[in-house]
Amino acid sequence: MRRLFRLSVLAAAGLALAACQQRVDNAVGSPTTYIDPATRGPVKGVGIESQDIIGMTDQMMRDMLAQPRLASAAAAPNVIIDSEYFHNESSSRLNKNSITDRLRVSLNRAAQGRMSFVGRNYADMVAKERELKRQGVVDHATQPGARAPKGGDYRLGGRITSLDARDPKTGMAQRYNQIIFEMVDLETSEIVWSGISEFAKAAQDDIIYR
Amino acid sequence: MKTKLAVLGLLLLGGCAGLDPAPQCDMGLIASQRELVPGPAMVPGWSSPLKEMPMNSVSITETTLLHKLHVRAIDARRTGTGTVEVLAQVVNCTDFPQNAEARTQFFDDTQVPSEPASAWAHLHLPPHTTVTYQELSIGAKSVEGYMIEMRETK
Repeated sequence: MRRLFRLSVLAAAGLALAACQQRVDNAVGSPTTYIDPATRGPVKGVGIESQDIIGMTDQMMRDMLAQPRLASAAAAPNVIIDSEYFHNESSSRLNKNSITDRLRVSLNRAAQGRMSFVGRNYADMVAKERELKRQGVVDHATQPGARAPKGGDYRLGGRITSLDARDPKTGMAQRYNQIIFEMVDLETSEIVWSGISEFAKAAQDDIIYR
Repeated sequence: MKTKLAVLGLLLLGGCAGLDPAPQCDMGLIASQRELVPGPAMVPGWSSPLKEMPMNSVSITETTLLHKLHVRAIDARRTGTGTVEVLAQVVNCTDFPQNAEARTQFFDDTQVPSEPASAWAHLHLPPHTTVTYQELSIGAKSVEGYMIEMRETK
């Protein structure tokens, strides 16, 4: 009788355990959270990340505003800041527009008339509208017509390069990132301003940048 | 003769033992010299419940870093375009490399932020060395004061 009781207890425990294993894990998942893009997030590798882009563009913007030739000229210079001559030769996979766009937008907002910004990347859009106005397809709008679109005095150029190293024993990866920014005189080719951002990172995490 | 040499050796050893690399930080004195000031009052005539670092200073926001770094000097000057450049010389008092980051908030003459705070800039401080943190303002005439915040890089 006692043996039968023990067997039934064991069988009941086994059934209970089996039931536990099949139960849904009804726990709350990790919520999507907003993180500060200016600070390293939970996913971090050796490449160029949001905090690096914010840091370098902020530094370049402030530095340009401290250069008399760019920021306190008698006539505000026309500048072109886009990624046309900003090249990524590094092993970091990134959209270089995220650097030049942030630099242009932050500089434009901060300059407050100290520089004038030319949207050369919108040249096609402007040309089409000018053509429609001159053909009489559309009216001349409210602003006075310009003889020609604005030319640029200075244009941004630059390059992103990197140097990679990996320890095969530990899997530790290290990358030196160098990003240079230069403003070039569009008449003389003179480089009127230069800035550099450089940093090295080491990590063992398996991070994929997309 | 052997005894004399041994005594001389011990004396030399004793002399060497007291020689630590400079700069050396007296953290007790640093702590005693720190004076917090009341923050801006919400209502005129009322005292603020906030105690903060005085304007034009460096606020180290983490206890761990507070006992490792010392701000040797702070300076500010106008650039050629009228913007303000702040320079803070930071000493690593420890025997180990430290990683910190700093940002600056610039204020107008009414102690209201005159522009967005700068992005965090990294500082790599080798042991017993001084590193200069530098930041530039966006505005020119609008800037009358600044506050630098420093934290550990994580």
